[in-house]
Amino acid sequence: MNLFDFLLVPSNWTESDGILDLLVQHLFYTALSVLLAAVIAIPLGILIGHTGRGSFLVIGTSNAARAIPSLGLLVLVVLLLGTGVFPIILVLAVLAIPPILTATAAGVQGADPEAVHAARALGMTGGQIVRQVEWPLALPLVISGLRSATLQVVATATVAAFAAGGGLGRLLISGQRTNNYSEMFAGAVLVALLAIVLDIVLGGIGWLAGRRARPKSKMTIEPVPVHT
Amino acid sequence: MTPRRLIASAALAVATLALAACGASSDPLADQSAAPSASAGGAPVIVGSANFTESQVLAELYAQAMKAKGVDASAKLNIGSREVYIKALQDNSISVIPEYTGNLLLYFDKNASATTAAEVEQALPAAIGNLKLGKASKAADQDVYVVTKQYSEQNGITSLEDLKKVSANAILGGPSELKDRAYGPPGLKSIYGATFKQFKPYDSPAVKVKDLNDNKIQVAEFFTTESAIVDNGYVQLADPQSMILPQNVIPLMRPDVAGNTAATGAIDSVQAALTTEELTALNKKVDVDRQDPDQVATEWLTSKGLV
Amino acid sequence: MIEWFKSHSLDWEWLSRNAGMIGGLTLEHAILSVVPVLVAFVVSIPLGYLVFRTGRAANSLLAVFGVIYSIPSLALFVVMPAFLGTKILSPINIAVALAVYSIALLVRSVVDGLRSVPADVKQSASAVGYGGFRRFMTVELPLAMPVVFAGLRVVTVSNIALVSVGVLIGLGSLGQLFDTGFNRNFFTPIIVGLVLTVLLALIADAIILLIQRGALPWARGRRVA
Repeated sequence: MNLFDFLLVPSNWTESDGILDLLVQHLFYTALSVLLAAVIAIPLGILIGHTGRGSFLVIGTSNAARAIPSLGLLVLVVLLLGTGVFPIILVLAVLAIPPILTATAAGVQGADPEAVHAARALGMTGGQIVRQVEWPLALPLVISGLRSATLQVVATATVAAFAAGGGLGRLLISGQRTNNYSEMFAGAVLVALLAIVLDIVLGGIGWLAGRRARPKSKMTIEPVPVHT
Repeated sequence: MTPRRLIASAALAVATLALAACGASSDPLADQSAAPSASAGGAPVIVGSANFTESQVLAELYAQAMKAKGVDASAKLNIGSREVYIKALQDNSISVIPEYTGNLLLYFDKNASATTAAEVEQALPAAIGNLKLGKASKAADQDVYVVTKQYSEQNGITSLEDLKKVSANAILGGPSELKDRAYGPPGLKSIYGATFKQFKPYDSPAVKVKDLNDNKIQVAEFFTTESAIVDNGYVQLADPQSMILPQNVIPLMRPDVAGNTAATGAIDSVQAALTTEELTALNKKVDVDRQDPDQVATEWLTSKGLV
Repeated sequence: MIEWFKSHSLDWEWLSRNAGMIGGLTLEHAILSVVPVLVAFVVSIPLGYLVFRTGRAANSLLAVFGVIYSIPSLALFVVMPAFLGTKILSPINIAVALAVYSIALLVRSVVDGLRSVPADVKQSASAVGYGGFRRFMTVELPLAMPVVFAGLRVVTVSNIALVSVGVLIGLGSLGQLFDTGFNRNFFTPIIVGLVLTVLLALIADAIILLIQRGALPWARGRRVA
C-alpha cells in the first residue's frame, strides 16, 4: 500500500462527493464563517479600540475561546439545530470572532497617537478619525487577525464531516471507518496544504497593506495565532 | 517577510512529501504485531465491540458471563467499524468480538453465494481463516432500509424494488462505511436499479433519525434492532431479492479462546438465551433510557440466571 | 416545554454512575496535553538559543516554525503514524503532534524573549567577567523567561482544546464524551466534556501563572504580550 494511492486515482477527485467537491465545501464553510465573524468582530473591535473601553473583555474572550473544544461545540449545536450549513457556519464563526476582534481592537487602539491628536486638532469628528486615521493604520493588524481566524477555521472545518456536512474531514473519517489509511493521509495532506496556501496568500495581502500604512506605535494587545 | 515565508513553506512542503514518500510502504492501519497469543486456559480474554450500542451490550454480556464462570475477561468497547476491529482481533489487541453472520461472511468473501441463514453459517468457517466462531444465536440484527410512514404512503414505497421510482430525487443516509458495502448504494443500484441523488454519511444515529424526520434525507439505513424504527413508526422496506444477508449474532474469537471451554460455555449460554426482541429491548435501555451497556448487561444476565 | 427541559438538563444520575470513567478520561486528557508542553519546554530553550544565535538567518528559521504551526492538528495526528511507525489508535500520535506544535510556538517565544534582553545588560554582564554560557544561564535566560512563559500559557491552553479533536480518528480523551452524547442525542456527556475541558485549561493556565510568579519574581508587574 502506498500513502499516495488515494490521491493518485483521478476518479477519487472527480466523482460526486469526491476530493474536488469536498474541497469546495471546505472553502465554502471557511469563507462564509470568516465573513460572518468579520461582520460582527470588526465593528465591535473598532468600537472597543476607539473608546478604549472593554479591552479586558477582548483579552478575556480570546483566552477563553482558545480553551473551547470546537468539536464539542459543534456536536452540541448540531443536536440542537440539526444538520445543515447554518450550524456549522455558526460554530466556525464563534471560533473566528476572537482573533479578529482582538486584532481590530489592538490595531485601532494602537494607531499612532500623534496622528490621532493631529486629526482631532484639525477638527475631525470621532467618526472621521475612525474612518480616515485609525482604520487605515489598523488595517494591517486587522488583516493579520483575519489570517489567524482563517487558519483556525480551515483547520476546524474538518469537524464538519462529523455532522454529515462534508468538507475535507470526510476523507479522514471515512478512511478511518474503512481502514483506508491512504484516504486519511490524503485528507490530512490536503487540509495542511490548504492551510499553508491560505496562510501565504493572506500573509501576502497583509504585507502589501503593511507597506501602505505603517502604524508606528507598539500594539498593546498582541494577537496570538490560535488553531485547532 | 512574505518571500521568506514562501521559501520556508515550499521547503517544508518538499521535505514533508519526501519524508512521507520514504515511509510510503508502511501502513499504520496494517497488522503489525503478529505476536503469538498466550494460550493458557486462564489467559485474559478481552471482548471488543464495534462502535454502536448493540455491539457494546453484546460485548458486555459475553465479558460478564465469562467473568461469572471464572474467566479473566474484560470488555474494550467502541473499537470502530468491522475493518478496524477485525484487524484488532488479528493483531491480538482483542480476543473476542460479537459479530453478525452475513456481513462477516461478505467481509471475508465478497463473492459469497450463500443467501439463507443455514448456507451462511455453513460457508463461514472456511472463510474466516485462522479465527474461530462460537454458536450462532437465533437473535438477528439485519441491516434494513426505512422510510417515514408519510413518505411511504405518498410515494407508494414498501419494498426496495419501489425505490427506483424516487431515488433520482432522494437522499440516502447511513453510516459512512455503508457507501462501499455490497448491500449499500452499489447493491441498491445493481440489484434494485435505484441510484440515489446523494449518499449522506452519518456518524451519529441520533442525528440520522432527526434528519429523516425533518425530511433532510428520505431513505435511511438502520438495524432491525434499533428502537428508533418502532418509536418513530418507520416503514421497513422489504428485500425480495435477498440483497441483505441474514445476520444472526455470532461470536468471532481467536483460537486460544475457542479452546477455553469455560469461556465458550459462558458465551454459548448467552447466545442460547438471546432473541431479536430482547436485543431490541436491551438497545432501547441504552439508547433511549440512557443506561450504560455494562449495567444493562448485568441486569439481563441476572434475570436469566447467567451470573 | 417540561419535556424539553427534562431532556436538556443534566442527568446527575448518569454523571455519578460514570464519575470514574470521566475522571479517567480527564486524567488522560491532562497527561496527553501537558506532557508535550514539558518536553517542548526542555527542547525549545536550547533550540531557541541556537536559532537566536544564527542572527540574520533566525527569521527564516522562525518562518519554518510558523508554517509548522499552521498545519491543522487533525492532519498532523493522522500523518504521525507514517513518520513514527505507530499504530493509528496510539495516543502517542497525539502527544508527539502536540509536542511538535508546542516546540514550533515556544522556539519563537524563546527567540523573542532573548531579543528582548537589552544590549547594555548583556554588555554589563560581560564586563563583570561573565562568560558566554554563564551569561546565558544567569542573565539572558532569566530575563527572557517572562516571554517564554507567555508562550507556555498559550500552548498549554490550546493543547488542551486540541486533544478532543482526536475523537474523529478514534482517540480524543474527553472528546469521547462528545461522541457518546452525539450518538445517543444525550446532552449531559457533551456539557460535561465542554466544561471539564475549559476547566482543565483554566487550571493549567493558573498553575503556570503561579509557577511564573514564584520562579520569576523579577517579572512581577511587568506586562508581557
